[in-house]
Amino acid sequence: MSAVQPPTARPIDFRDATLGTTVAVLRLVEPHLLADAMHKMLGGMPDFFSGEPAILDFAELAGEPERIDWAGLLSLMRRFQLQPVGVRNLAPELAAGARKAGLAVLDGIALGERGAKVPAAETPPQRPAAAPVPAPAPAAPPAAPVRAGTMIVERPLRSGQQVYARGADLVLLAGMSNGAEVIADGSIHCYGPLRGRAIAGAQGDTTARILSTNFGPEIVSIAGIYKTFENGIPAALAGKPAHVRLTGGDREHRLALEPLQLD
Amino acid sequence: MTRVVVITSGKGGVGKTTTSAAFASGLALRGFKTCVIDFDVGLRNLDLIMGCERRVVYDFVNVINGEAKLTQALIKDKHCENLFVLPASQTRDKDALTEEGVEAVIKELEHMGFDYVVCDSPAGIERGAVLALTFADEAIVTTNPEVSSVRDSDRILGILQSKSRRAAEGREPVKEHLLVTRYSPKRVDDGEMLSYKDVQELLRVPLIGVIPESESVLHASNQGTPAIHLKGADVADAYTDVVARFLGEERPLRYVNYEKPGLIKRLFGGK
Repeated sequence: MSAVQPPTARPIDFRDATLGTTVAVLRLVEPHLLADAMHKMLGGMPDFFSGEPAILDFAELAGEPERIDWAGLLSLMRRFQLQPVGVRNLAPELAAGARKAGLAVLDGIALGERGAKVPAAETPPQRPAAAPVPAPAPAAPPAAPVRAGTMIVERPLRSGQQVYARGADLVLLAGMSNGAEVIADGSIHCYGPLRGRAIAGAQGDTTARILSTNFGPEIVSIAGIYKTFENGIPAALAGKPAHVRLTGGDREHRLALEPLQLD
Repeated sequence: MTRVVVITSGKGGVGKTTTSAAFASGLALRGFKTCVIDFDVGLRNLDLIMGCERRVVYDFVNVINGEAKLTQALIKDKHCENLFVLPASQTRDKDALTEEGVEAVIKELEHMGFDYVVCDSPAGIERGAVLALTFADEAIVTTNPEVSSVRDSDRILGILQSKSRRAAEGREPVKEHLLVTRYSPKRVDDGEMLSYKDVQELLRVPLIGVIPESESVLHASNQGTPAIHLKGADVADAYTDVVARFLGEERPLRYVNYEKPGLIKRLFGGK
């Protein structure tokens, strides 16, 4: 073996790297109860986490469990494409079990954290598998400072395709067709026809907006307040530049659809 | 370099096989060595349209399974010197096709010096249709001027973007062409049908041609003659234009405007 190695190469190198992880804050530890909850949250998007590393946080645990079914918990997380790598805020007598299960105990290590990561609440669960979208998966944004990214889709979005701009604004440069669906945690900007389902502010951002140069969606939604167009798009907006935002106070949000003045 | 062209649509009955036969014949008439492959395993039709159904001995699935050589399965067209047909199997289903098998056949056609391989896709978005477009360099999306056909074409365009080899390998995307078929200018004029401009506006893909609705297509199919060979028929002219535009020539659109019949024609009948 050693003959193959160049004499100068060290067998191991250490490099500094920052890992973008998801923190899963568990309030229960029973795998079957968690499975139900996760299925409800992610049913429509089994690939939501796409293999992200995860840290299990037990700070908000309701009551002290006697034991934790680590094997069940880990296989559940993996089923939802999360890779548990460590635990924190775990009582010392339970931490031993975590170590045995191959998890690192990470108490006292500072993590740059962001807000809660919640999938779009109003996406209908269990939709038929959509064709994978060629758009790049949103790269993990830098841990700190918190800055919303932008996801740009350059090709037309076709019927059956779905894009989710997680924690970001979404810009569509070639429009979208009927039967396509776009979801953004921020705003949606569409340069071209907006014809499918457009869901902005998917995590509840009421300041998110939907803008299009050619308005004609099947459904628009901002922070869960949605509108369908059974009787057609208002003539003043159909095919024209338009703008959707939430108006009204905290309790009486309404969607306002307005023409958009371009030059 | 062999170019692989898929004729696809999502929806059935829009004219994929008619177009595959006419388009492949048109390329061959221009002197290109062309092979047209029927991907509709289990619902084989291309051989009928090409008029070679009695000469099918071995088929695409036999070649993929190694039961026959490609040269044994290729059928030489009776109209064109440079055209060969690879028929589908009627007794199997689409699971008989494998990606490796299809790739091997296309590679071999490349070795044999074919200029164009035309893939006649089955309807739907399942295995057969996906395999037909997997290796495509260009796609002719066949669409009828009605909303369900447009929606299905849109879906297949999305699949083209995501499942083709070009997309998977991050190469230049498959070049898309829109072909509007079974077009009736009169019904468009009467507001019963979408115009080709509406279809193009909805799909946002460059238009390669408009094929008029014509009874002669049915006659041609029954006789096993690709529509491009019908002397003097509008369909044949329209397909000839499509092939010319595909090869980069400029041709104005024909047969897209409705001319009201004059007084004499109305008095004395005629079509």
